[in-house]
Amino acid sequence: MLRLWPTCRALRAQSLIRSSSRCYATEPEKIEVFVDGNPVYVEPGTTVLQACADGGVQIPRFCYHERLSIAGNCRMCLVEIEKSPKPQASCAMPVMKGMRIKTDSEVSRKAREGVMEFLLANHPLDCPICDQGGECDLQDQSMVFGSDRSRFTDIHFAGKRAVEDKNIGPLVKTIMTRCIHCTRCIRFANEVAGVEELGTTGRGNEMQVGTYVEKLFRSELSGNVIDLCPVGALTSKPYAFTARPWETRKTESIDVMDALGSNIVVSTRTNEVMRILPRMNEDINEEWISDKTRFAYDGLKRQRLAFPYIKDASGTLQQTSWEKALMTAAEKISSVEGSQIAGLAGGLVDAEALISLKDLLNKLGSESLCTEEIFPMDGAGTDLRSNYLLNTKIAGIEEADLVLFIGTNPRFEAPLLNARVRKSWIHNELDVALIGTPVDLTYDYEHVGESTDVLKKIAQGNHPFAKRLNSAKKPMVVVGSSALQRKDGGAILAAVSTIANTARVNSGCGDSWKVLNVLHRVASQVAALDLGYKAGVDVIRQNPPKVLFLLGADAGVITRQDLPKDCFVIYQGHHGDEGVNMADLVLPGVAYTEKNATYVNTEGRAQQTRLAVSPPGQAKEDWKIIRALSEIAGKKLPYDNIAEVRHRLSQVSPNLTRYGDAEDANYFKQAQQLAGLVKGQMEPTPMTPPMLELKDFYMTDSISRASQTMAKCVQAVQESEKNPYLED
Amino acid sequence: MKILFYSIDEIKEGRLVGEDDYGNKYYENNYYFFSSNRWVRYNPNVNMEYDGSQVPPEWHRWLHYITDEPPSTHPPELKKWMQPHKPNMSGTDKKYVPYSTTKPKVDVWQPSQGK
Repeated sequence: MLRLWPTCRALRAQSLIRSSSRCYATEPEKIEVFVDGNPVYVEPGTTVLQACADGGVQIPRFCYHERLSIAGNCRMCLVEIEKSPKPQASCAMPVMKGMRIKTDSEVSRKAREGVMEFLLANHPLDCPICDQGGECDLQDQSMVFGSDRSRFTDIHFAGKRAVEDKNIGPLVKTIMTRCIHCTRCIRFANEVAGVEELGTTGRGNEMQVGTYVEKLFRSELSGNVIDLCPVGALTSKPYAFTARPWETRKTESIDVMDALGSNIVVSTRTNEVMRILPRMNEDINEEWISDKTRFAYDGLKRQRLAFPYIKDASGTLQQTSWEKALMTAAEKISSVEGSQIAGLAGGLVDAEALISLKDLLNKLGSESLCTEEIFPMDGAGTDLRSNYLLNTKIAGIEEADLVLFIGTNPRFEAPLLNARVRKSWIHNELDVALIGTPVDLTYDYEHVGESTDVLKKIAQGNHPFAKRLNSAKKPMVVVGSSALQRKDGGAILAAVSTIANTARVNSGCGDSWKVLNVLHRVASQVAALDLGYKAGVDVIRQNPPKVLFLLGADAGVITRQDLPKDCFVIYQGHHGDEGVNMADLVLPGVAYTEKNATYVNTEGRAQQTRLAVSPPGQAKEDWKIIRALSEIAGKKLPYDNIAEVRHRLSQVSPNLTRYGDAEDANYFKQAQQLAGLVKGQMEPTPMTPPMLELKDFYMTDSISRASQTMAKCVQAVQESEKNPYLED
Repeated sequence: MKILFYSIDEIKEGRLVGEDDYGNKYYENNYYFFSSNRWVRYNPNVNMEYDGSQVPPEWHRWLHYITDEPPSTHPPELKKWMQPHKPNMSGTDKKYVPYSTTKPKVDVWQPSQGK
């Protein structure tokens, strides 16, 4: 609790309730309060505002936010409480037995009108050009709770209070004159994002929110302050002046920039993605999303493959028709033996396309279907699901009391998982340890070691940390997928599996608690492994194919040098990135905002993206392309519509169509026994995750690499490192 | 002869007043009423593809009674900024096609871009 010093006092009441799952054995007795005369039963320590919400009365507020600490400085939530001489700020007032709260009395209404009048006296009247227009709390609440007439007369034209705008980077636009000093952004930065960049200077009328000196808001979650800001002081820079909320169409979808599958809302207008906002999902992203999720959407409008291309005699790609492209592809795959065809799936591919390609290649007689992301195949490999999932689930972090990260940088590989760990670290006394290259995780952690030696020692039980793991009540071991991509990945996974199983047995956390967790980095990986793809490209390297089908494979793990000269490469994807450079034939697929598709996140939770905009040019949905190709090649796949594809998906792996659910995986013991068969030895080199610093975070896949906003972010971060005021 | 008949729908006889650069011949016969007494026979090479806009402006003036002085006797003064006459190209492959001045919403990848 004291880990967040400025808020330790204010938080006490709230965090007690939050951590109640661990602190209390039994539920405390509820107390009775009266909201406008109606009895409401709430837990002790609840604030008046929450009690009113339970009683069905929404109290107006600016500074109060459920996921942030209580500030109590906007005074908008003033309510009259009987036997109290003055109206009370309900967000900061704990309930007491028999309290009578009057939310709509004359005193309450007068108080709100007064607060609103003061706020508006110094708020500019630029609503017509303000980007917050239509979703502005100040606008809405002044209509509902404000006075119907104004006493504001600036007869001397002295002007309203004006504040200089701050430059805090390429993502968040500031118009500080509009700021009403609710301090939500400051609390978000300090508590959730864990970067102490924002703060206030001055007091009273002179108070300003800012970064003290001009510098970048260096956080991977910075975009969330745009949603938090109740007025138009912090708005989105890329979205500035492009659309109004009432003219956009909202499509509820899923993000594919990392393996968490954050829930998003895609706002579209005139068949264009205007912006991406978070959607609430308590199990995954709460109500935050990372900056890559939020701002990489302009990458969907650049470098897009809109037409089929075919390589001509001179070796350059020429635009062609679908007919010719599919005919050529079918001819090539039918002309060679089945075993000489290989498929390689990239990180942004949906489950429908994966199953279509797998079925097609299997029908042709090929078994070499791989994913670009490597995962050790020795031992149980990917046969047992528990081996490659985040078994504890993201929400499980809130119950854990010790997390050990191995060879990962969760801050950039899964920013919202890291935010969850930080939340637990603040409120639940969660202890965090890390093995691997030390990185800034926004919270304190114990750095156990850098190389695999430590791992071996812990696995054997002669490292002091092994005792801590075994004595923890609910330990978690999270291994990054990048650590498993080394040559000795199998041995590392075996060691981690041993550590996890020992901790599971000795800590007495019970059978329902899973300890072993794998944190993936790309959205398609779990679905691909569920469907039986082989992780890693060893198969392709060992027997080079005559025809290689790249399904959105843009990481560049296979190059022309790995393939025989006469190998025919078919690339299917949505961006002109690494993959097209080696392709002989390009089939334009669609991106995640342009299809109804299934993605499985690192927890094993199947979720659906929804079609928000139509694809550019002649691009087609991925599984349909493969289905069409199969028919021309004479190996017709037995599905004609998305429902039939999904039926096929559920035949292969039923969890793939149980949308929203994360199916538990089991057989940890068996997985560990099989892991014991792994022969390899761990190499004593340090485990270094690929993303170490903020600048590595922004451009990681074909969409974010095409995004200009992300390029600006990288530039801004590099520029900010020269800032003489930067701490460390 | 057939074409000639089609193009004016009647058999007319008149005095050849002149011929323009495009091979259209202009006739006059004041025996007919005003508005029918001047006519054009288009260049036979255009066949049925004749069109009012194939008459150049100087002859258009005479044909439409803006003036009584045909350009064959009173050639128009040629200024250096004058462009040669061009008939309406609608319906041909040289037709005018309006183009969008807005930026395309999606920047499509071109093979020449490399990456």
